[in-house]
Amino acid sequence: MAEEFNTDSMLSMFLYESYQGLEKLEGIVLEKQDADCFDDSDINEIFRIMHTIKGSSAVLMYENIKTASHKLEDVFYYLRESHPEDVPHMELVEKVLAVSDFITGELDKIKAGSEPDGDEKKLVEDLDQFLGELKGEIKKQGIRLPKANKQEEPTQFYITPVAEDDSHFYRIVIHYRSDTQMSNIRAYSATYALKEVAEDLLYTPEDILSNESSGDSILAEGFHMLLQTKASKDEVMELIDSSEAETIDFDEINKTEYGKALTEFGREAPPIVINLDDDKGAAKDDKQQAPIAPGDYVVKSKETGKGKTLAKNQPKQQAVISVNVEKMDALMDMIGELVIAEATVLQNPDLKVPGLDLTNFQKAAAQLAKNTTELQDVIMSMRMMPLTNVFQKMRRIVFDTSRKLGKDIDFEVIGENTEVDKNIIEHISDPLMHLVRNSVDHGIEENSDIRQANGKKAKGKITLEAKNEGGKVYISVKDDGKGLNKEKLYNKALENGLIGDKLMSDFTEKEIFKFITLPGFSTKEVVTEYSGRGVGMDVVVKNIQSIGGRLEIDSVEGQGSEMTLVIPLTLAIISGIVIQVGEAPFVIEMASIKEFISVSEDALIQEPSGEEYLVLRGDCFPFIRLCEKYDLPGAKTKLEDGIVVVVEHEGKQICVLIDKILQEQEIVVKPIPSYVKKVKGLSGCTQLGDGSIALILDVGGLMIEEERR
Amino acid sequence: MKILLAEDDFASRKFMDKQLSQYGECDVMVDGEEAVDAFMMALDDGEPYDLACLDVMMPVMDGYQVLKAIRDIETQKGIPKSERVKVIMTTALNDERNVKMAFELGCEAYAGKPIDMEKFEKVLKKLELI
Repeated sequence: MAEEFNTDSMLSMFLYESYQGLEKLEGIVLEKQDADCFDDSDINEIFRIMHTIKGSSAVLMYENIKTASHKLEDVFYYLRESHPEDVPHMELVEKVLAVSDFITGELDKIKAGSEPDGDEKKLVEDLDQFLGELKGEIKKQGIRLPKANKQEEPTQFYITPVAEDDSHFYRIVIHYRSDTQMSNIRAYSATYALKEVAEDLLYTPEDILSNESSGDSILAEGFHMLLQTKASKDEVMELIDSSEAETIDFDEINKTEYGKALTEFGREAPPIVINLDDDKGAAKDDKQQAPIAPGDYVVKSKETGKGKTLAKNQPKQQAVISVNVEKMDALMDMIGELVIAEATVLQNPDLKVPGLDLTNFQKAAAQLAKNTTELQDVIMSMRMMPLTNVFQKMRRIVFDTSRKLGKDIDFEVIGENTEVDKNIIEHISDPLMHLVRNSVDHGIEENSDIRQANGKKAKGKITLEAKNEGGKVYISVKDDGKGLNKEKLYNKALENGLIGDKLMSDFTEKEIFKFITLPGFSTKEVVTEYSGRGVGMDVVVKNIQSIGGRLEIDSVEGQGSEMTLVIPLTLAIISGIVIQVGEAPFVIEMASIKEFISVSEDALIQEPSGEEYLVLRGDCFPFIRLCEKYDLPGAKTKLEDGIVVVVEHEGKQICVLIDKILQEQEIVVKPIPSYVKKVKGLSGCTQLGDGSIALILDVGGLMIEEERR
Repeated sequence: MKILLAEDDFASRKFMDKQLSQYGECDVMVDGEEAVDAFMMALDDGEPYDLACLDVMMPVMDGYQVLKAIRDIETQKGIPKSERVKVIMTTALNDERNVKMAFELGCEAYAGKPIDMEKFEKVLKKLELI
């Protein structure tokens, strides 16, 4: 976050506008990639976007961006003015994307704080050549060439300030020897010396020169300084005259502490604006503020020792504020704690005393419960962002990959406005990219003849769909390509020694599809630029699992495959059932519970190896006794006494024996502290209403354990 | 070249004075009103400034007021656009709104503090001052 603190607002405005423009441009271009030509409104729009970028990059003196965008603007100028026919559309699309990539690259450099030093010459040459051909074509078609696009040199410039991220912040306290004469003058000379290197300097007492008695307080309490500078500690120490000083306390502090310290020194802390969604925040805010005018920045005549104050107080009215993500996370945590605290109150053991009249308490409790639920909803909605940007990126990937591979592919996007937690968006972009590339590369057939022979349209189709259902987000990548060949997958896995010597019939269809997510697996004999190195799918799965999601694979050979990412809408709060085994409470996530059932001992099958199975309605399920697994004394061991929970994960079911069901509850997931040895089958812990800790069962983990046995 | 520098903060003033003196004779003012007075005086003497570097936060008149005053005076005296003094705002107030307003008021360049002297020089070249 540190760098963003210093981001110049003009610069972020430029970046924001340019990124937006380029995004829009890519959108237009990719949408029209299959058309024969751009229509008038597209040409106008692209011209306008390039014109804007050219103009603002010129003001900021980014010459290479200016030149590149100017050239492309020129091309579209001729297209706009002359309406030539038979423009090589694909070539034009490539040119536009090349320029857009170049500028994006340069913008990224600027954003990262370095100079945009990319060489635009090759690009400009290409464009010049294209433009030359275009002009020739225009003449040939007998259309009069328009007057050359008049290039106005900008007359106004903006000089971006030097980056300041390497500023240090120090808190310095000088204690002078108690017999020091004129300590105030010594203090002043210290501040004077520091002014050379200081970007900001505050000291207390403030009136050291004008008030002679300030010397006494300096002797008594020390002379306090706050310093913002680029100089190192040693350099600063050198500047401070330490001859009469007894001790000098020298602390390097961070920006936040510095801001706090400023307030202690009686100055308003600088507003720290860290944008939630990249650069958009700044842009939005500015339009909401009250207008400014010349004269707003007149400085009141300076009072000795005081910082500058403006004569006119600036009214601050903002309809939109941007908030530090860390603060949002902290708020989220707090609300989690609140939910726990609420449970602690509402399920307090004291309430279980017989004979209490709780009518009023229950009313108040209902009110509280309603409010905390709403609070949760609000914080969730604050963190939600639409998937639009991620999906836009995928469009580009399909375009690039399919062009390179010479495949003709239709790309359809459904539900791009689906909103998910910001954290999740950050985690799914890469996995999704992998899936999309895989679909283009492996999914869709190499050539359209094969497709037509199989009775499909010559053009391949990939559908990217997002939907929101029952607290989960489903994002699927579907292609109508060749689908997965089970036999091939099985043989490959066998070859690579990934599955031991199990038979194909040991696996269900879904399990075989799952092979592709094993590390070190790739059915593609030839490694292409885009996929087939065998890394990838396992990484995808790992990424998805890290946010509590899973990958579902569905495929029909010859008709296509569908990869679905199933991700929880939120990470922090789940609804679960609290159960008890022996003395220990556990939580099972609601979504994974299929049923609770009472079973008699007859249904149990014991293998000689000790493995146990339950037969329910003719189906056989693995059976786990939690009391044995986790060594819990006092638990019920007879099936008749306890309850069997059937849990499901990724289509597989297992049965778990528990003692009793306690309650249904909103569970705030906390990680198991690292000092507890990693226990298999548990995904976290939470605090219950009575203050005790319950462990959260990780159903997926339990199953993996079970399979290994 | 004749330069007018208006800056109330001593450290910045010293720094800018030193930097600008490489390009020409530099008159240093400590508040906005002084700057306008100096500008008027130079016009009356027939030796107008070529470049004015204006801080924004200053006593009596702020940099935007000075800029506006300078452009108003020039308009009133009928000085052609090409002969107007080139104005560079030098300030840490680099909010987009502030910059836009300054551009509308007619400054040639807007330099965020701390000033990137390399770019500053580039602008001087573009403005054909050096």
